[in-house]
Amino acid sequence: MPKIKKKRMGFVIDLTPLVDITFLLLTFLMFTAKFKSEAEAEKQFTIRRPTVSPDTTKLPERDLAIINIAIDDKNPNDTSYYYGLTNMKDVPLVYQLVPEIPPELQSKALVKVDTTVLGKLIRATLSVRSSTRFAIDADRRIRFKWVEDAMNILRRNRAFVFNFVTDKRTQEEEQKTQKK
Amino acid sequence: MAGGGGALEIPERQKRGKIVRRKKKKRIGFRIDLTPLVDITFLLLTFFMFTTTMLKPQIMEMRIPPEMYAKVEVRASELLTLMLTADNKLYWYKGIADQNNPPQEIPISKLRALAVEKNLEPTVKNRLITVLKISPDANYARVVEILDELNQAEIPITEAISKEVDEKGEPMKRQRKFTIAPLTEEDLKLLQGEGK
Repeated sequence: MPKIKKKRMGFVIDLTPLVDITFLLLTFLMFTAKFKSEAEAEKQFTIRRPTVSPDTTKLPERDLAIINIAIDDKNPNDTSYYYGLTNMKDVPLVYQLVPEIPPELQSKALVKVDTTVLGKLIRATLSVRSSTRFAIDADRRIRFKWVEDAMNILRRNRAFVFNFVTDKRTQEEEQKTQKK
Repeated sequence: MAGGGGALEIPERQKRGKIVRRKKKKRIGFRIDLTPLVDITFLLLTFFMFTTTMLKPQIMEMRIPPEMYAKVEVRASELLTLMLTADNKLYWYKGIADQNNPPQEIPISKLRALAVEKNLEPTVKNRLITVLKISPDANYARVVEILDELNQAEIPITEAISKEVDEKGEPMKRQRKFTIAPLTEEDLKLLQGEGK
């Protein structure tokens, strides 16, 4: 007698743990994600920051004025200052006080400036919001002269406390400096 | 999903004054198709995973004094001068540099140890002023590296100093004195003298 063929039953995989983990990761990443500020999105350059030993200090996100000193991506001989504010409410107020900013740049969160305009912008920023913190975000390849000038401009405009923006040094770089 | 047909009918509970008992239907467990939910979740998950960067920039705080025109006199013996030249070489001397006390070159990897040693010398403990003279043509990354090494040196220095007590019997507080100055012509001459 031929055996009765059992009907094949479809098998079921319990997807619950998978979905659990997925949701967990999703919520974590959603809560930790930070979107670029407008000033950051307008950047035409990439800054390679100097690296230092690991630290817990983090760049403040609110009411920050950043002085970028960057090398142009397309023209490596061209270094210039850029000024940006993270508080978008302050931007029009600050620009109002600086007539040198042309009207077509008024809507921008990041403007290319020279040293005189930079000084005026710093003073205007402090008069609009005195609690603004300053940061110098400079490329590591530039000469110190650029940073020194920016520091002197800050000093002249009564901004005596500021930050250098840096990156954490990786272990490979650490070993390299040890060899030096 | 199935079995919604009778939902709109008005249940006839009362009929000619009599209560009509409906037959209770056996409850059938229902299933929700989770596929679209999981689809969207995975899509979002992949998006966030690709767009997040975990590495955030950190900061190094600087405080600079206001412009001062008054001269401040300091003891030369309490002065540690570091000089960073245009070719990114670092030199140091203590006190006043002359032929007997020429500026010496030092690799950055040894700077931390030097700063700790000089700051903890018994004669100048907690009074040493560090001056960093930087050539305008020096590399910015190198300057930050030096500042970082000096910051790192503060950890053992502060620890050693906090173990001591002052005249009032209270633990001593570390007072860091540090300043940045431009490298002058005279400094360069001094370094050239060292080269010969």
